[in-house]
Amino acid sequence: MADQAATMVPAGSTSHRLSFLGNLPLGALLLCAVLIAAATAATISNLTVQLPSALWVDALTAPDIDDMRQVLVHYAYLPRLAVSLLCGAALGLAGTVLQQVLRNPLAAPETVGVSAGAYLALALATLLAPSLLAYGREWVALAGALVAIAAVFGLSWHKGLSPLSVVLAGLVVSLYAGSIGAALIVLKHEWLAGLFIWGAGTLGQQDWTTTLWLIPRLGIAALAIGLMVRPLTLLGLDDEGARSLGVPLGVYRFAALGAAVALISFVVAAVGVIGFIGLAAAALARIGGARRFGQRLIMAPLIGAALLWAADQGVQLLTGSQGDLLPTGAITALLGAPLLLWLLPRLKLGSETPALTADRLPRALHPGLLLIGIAILLTAVLFFALFYGPGPAGWNFAFGDQLQSILSWRLPRVLAALSAGAMLALAGLMIQRLTGNPMASPEVLGVSAGAALGMIVALFVFVDASRPTQTIAATVGAFAALSVMLALGRRAAFAPERLLLAGIALTALFDALILILTATGDPRAMLLLNWFTGSTYGVDINAAILTAGLAAFLVVLTPLFLRWLDILPLGPTAAHGLGLNLTTTRLLILLMTAALTAASTLIVGPLTFIGLMAPHLARRLGLARAMPQAVGAVLAGALIMVAADWIGRTAIFPRQIPAGLVATLIGGPILMWLLRRR
Amino acid sequence: MLGVRPIAVPNRESWEAWVVEPPLPPEIADIGTLLEPNLEFLQQLRPDIILSIPFLDGIKPLLERIAPVTSISIYAEDGQPYERSVAATRQLAQLVGKVEEGEALIRETEEKFAEIRLRLEPLSERPIYVVSFLDPRNVRVYGRKSLFQEVFDRIGIRNAWTAETNYWGFSTVGIDGLAGSSNARLAYLDPLPTGATGTLTESPVWNAMPFVRSRSMLHLPPVLMFGTLPSATRFAQVLADALTAESANG
Repeated sequence: MADQAATMVPAGSTSHRLSFLGNLPLGALLLCAVLIAAATAATISNLTVQLPSALWVDALTAPDIDDMRQVLVHYAYLPRLAVSLLCGAALGLAGTVLQQVLRNPLAAPETVGVSAGAYLALALATLLAPSLLAYGREWVALAGALVAIAAVFGLSWHKGLSPLSVVLAGLVVSLYAGSIGAALIVLKHEWLAGLFIWGAGTLGQQDWTTTLWLIPRLGIAALAIGLMVRPLTLLGLDDEGARSLGVPLGVYRFAALGAAVALISFVVAAVGVIGFIGLAAAALARIGGARRFGQRLIMAPLIGAALLWAADQGVQLLTGSQGDLLPTGAITALLGAPLLLWLLPRLKLGSETPALTADRLPRALHPGLLLIGIAILLTAVLFFALFYGPGPAGWNFAFGDQLQSILSWRLPRVLAALSAGAMLALAGLMIQRLTGNPMASPEVLGVSAGAALGMIVALFVFVDASRPTQTIAATVGAFAALSVMLALGRRAAFAPERLLLAGIALTALFDALILILTATGDPRAMLLLNWFTGSTYGVDINAAILTAGLAAFLVVLTPLFLRWLDILPLGPTAAHGLGLNLTTTRLLILLMTAALTAASTLIVGPLTFIGLMAPHLARRLGLARAMPQAVGAVLAGALIMVAADWIGRTAIFPRQIPAGLVATLIGGPILMWLLRRR
Repeated sequence: MLGVRPIAVPNRESWEAWVVEPPLPPEIADIGTLLEPNLEFLQQLRPDIILSIPFLDGIKPLLERIAPVTSISIYAEDGQPYERSVAATRQLAQLVGKVEEGEALIRETEEKFAEIRLRLEPLSERPIYVVSFLDPRNVRVYGRKSLFQEVFDRIGIRNAWTAETNYWGFSTVGIDGLAGSSNARLAYLDPLPTGATGTLTESPVWNAMPFVRSRSMLHLPPVLMFGTLPSATRFAQVLADALTAESANG
């Protein structure tokens, strides 16, 4: 399965210093002790506010039903505590098993898309088929989780499930699930407030049902993992070594994976998505010196439980009993992003051989003809997008005196969609050729997330922020994110895999913020979501012309990059041999990508997947060299985006579906098909 | 209202579920979502005036190409949505040349409050929580800076929720957050999320809540919590009806 097994270096120096003390994971134990001490202190403080300590034993064993304080401690406070411990432990265990099975130090419930899949399945079931939930929420969650992980495997299979490609595919799947979720919210948000709260990981309880529901389910999954410790330990070796010991690898690998996915699904079904506990617990156990798999299986759940316990008590301490609801799961996700950034330099991922496994794909005999074909198609779609659409009297072609006023609405949107699609496609092409990773795209570079963070700040700092303010804030955000990325990447000579991972961390940070906003019911979150889903709505002609001008300018610059883009996929050694200064080349391509992404993100939001899709589409059609692929991708990107905008404007007239969302919904399956196992 | 009929509103289908009164005549067109009204469609309807909210200031220049835009803000940092509703009513009445009708609406609203205040005098000693259920465990509870609070003040009812609220005058809390007042009633608004009532009756925390034990719960039909004068009147009316029905039953 994974031929480039990832090795993990547990924060080198510490573990060496500790090794003379025997093989105990002292760091991890110490961390656990600190966390438990903090959590205990917070627990005592929270409990004291609720009930005088003289009554604690009564409240635990035989609560007086007439004393509201005791009822609350017994049926709300204590079960919440139990649930936080259970879920934290389950996520830590699941994270460790995933890392072992996938030989991937970054694997975790969030990073492989499992949490997002389970969440989306439950959200869809709640809205569209509530009767399904009667069979058990866990089954719905499990089905969603399995679909998600199957999609992740499908997307990263041809890269041998290498750590980076799995995590990237996981992010893409999570983002995809997220944008379907956003579609539901935009179209039916009045009914979804409860879903937000649950989705953001609220641990609040009102009886012991959830606890009692979780214990047997988590217990069985944990037991199954416990029975597989020996074969799973061998899985950590390379395939050869394990096979020579006579272990049927495949069976155990799938069984363990199933158990981990089940653990995650149960947690999601019970309390929603608890961000980053799984990753943090598994990684901290390793870094704390738990090197053997058996040790990690014990330490990671302990750390996970302690982490979530401490985090949840901290949240309760912050909000108090009458404070606004703050979902713990989103808070942990918020804390998880910096943690991921901190972890990056401490992980040894092994650099990936840039190999767009494209060489087996057919090459077009007449690339020129093909490009002309796409261009004709684009022209046709442009014509319909501008002139044909529904009105108060049904579908009609715009003509005569109507024409001018209708065009004044449609032209800016079509122009904006066209430019944004072209720019995103070009950005995607560059980042994919730069990183040699087919799952790389502008969305995962973090620039989009940076722009989105800028928007959030603008909406909350300036009351009634006007459009220019929003634009400036988003631009500042995009470049701030880029600076962070560049600062992080400089040490590694802009090694692509570091950059992609940093982008993932930034994206996660942004996601967590959105979750917190929506869960507290702030109406401003809706404005953000509308933009987030990629709407060309409200683009005026000046903004559209500006974007189009920018797009034209950047596209004209592209020929300067073409030679590099042809060479880079051959690998660093070949690039050196051909006299390329890697650092400078990478920096320039990165800047170009960031400019393209920022300019398009401002118009159509951070989530379109055009950047991911269009280059693959061009390649699949047989455009192999950088030049024809670039032209093909730009045309295809523009085509998809204009078509998506037109469909979005007309499909449920007079309501509108954001263009970015339409592109995503159509593009997801296409992408799966393009990247299908070869 | 004011004797003028709008030609289009956004989110028509939500009206029935969340606003109810005044009823929407069938010929009023739907122009899409609140935050993204369909501009192309709106222009073809040829409106005389567009009423907007500050959230749409981003597209105000576009709206102004269709018709003059009046942006009305009921919510602000200092609260007082009722005072602002009265001001907005006067502003609108002026705008459509129905100053008389506008003053009449304000007068009727005040009179209604006075009448209900009198009617509720014997029933007003207990404070009330007003909530919307979000799911079986969590509610939005309305307090200071909300329209409901200002109605309470005018009909002589005490709000049981005295803690902080956000910009829009509500706070999102778990049900257990409503245990603060021992003699409060609970008024909860329709529409309820699916599953809220079923799960609630089984929860020990719910069953121990003072208002559940004393069976003082009022189930209210939908009232737009972010509305203006008509919603304020409607809220006072449905609350008074529920309270008097409860006292009549025992």
